[in-house]
Amino acid sequence: MLSQQETILVALQDLDLMLKEAADRQDQFEKLGFDVSGVQELRKARSELVEHLDKANLQHYERMVQRYGRAVMPVTGDVCLGCFSKLPTQYRSSLYEGKVRMCQSCGRMLYYP
Amino acid sequence: MKVEELLGFFDRRLCIFDLKGRTKDEALAEIVDRLAPGDKGSNRKIILEMLRNREALGSTAVGKGVAFPHGRSLAVSRLMAIFARSSRGVDFDSIDGEPTHLFFVLLAPPQDRANQYLPALGRIIETVRDEALRERLMAVTDFDGFAAVMREGKVS
Repeated sequence: MLSQQETILVALQDLDLMLKEAADRQDQFEKLGFDVSGVQELRKARSELVEHLDKANLQHYERMVQRYGRAVMPVTGDVCLGCFSKLPTQYRSSLYEGKVRMCQSCGRMLYYP
Repeated sequence: MKVEELLGFFDRRLCIFDLKGRTKDEALAEIVDRLAPGDKGSNRKIILEMLRNREALGSTAVGKGVAFPHGRSLAVSRLMAIFARSSRGVDFDSIDGEPTHLFFVLLAPPQDRANQYLPALGRIIETVRDEALRERLMAVTDFDGFAAVMREGKVS
């Protein structure tokens, strides 16, 4: 189970991706018959979401977005799928419960499915 | 995209033929519950939040009783599609103001290396443009019936 902060980070990244796709692929969505005009509503939802993030997590998230485009990466078999580095197996232990785990190699925030 | 490839994204266990929800929130929650049964935790919350945000961007109910809730989430590991049907209809903010009966939900991971997400969505939309096909989908009672109707769909 993800911590509250990890859950918000994943939801934030999903939201940022939706905003990006709404801008980059507006024509494609409209051609399919979809209305994607509610960008302001999404920006409002984003503002509300980040209010629940710790300042340090938000700053790190924004830094990783600047550097890599996506700040949160999934983990498979104790490997960060952002840089394919091996992650400490302790990350799965209860010691890290409630904490945001980061890849020691690339710095991205990690999502353990 | 061939229809068999499209049907491969649907999981028969996730399809709902008697959606009970009457509102947008209830219907989306019921569909996501089917995706993650018993999961009251983070993944359910993340996917539901993503679908609600997508609706805030603009309703995915495009009229004629059909909606296509869709989006990408890190909580989804592969492209997946879900069919749901409500006999009574759901108030889903449809552009024609009418109740929505047929739901085609498409969920994709953030990275879709094979670029199947939009072609799959386009193929579903094109298939259900046919009014007679939509009427037949209103009568199917199981996944095999659903698949048979979709296979008969004409795509220009």
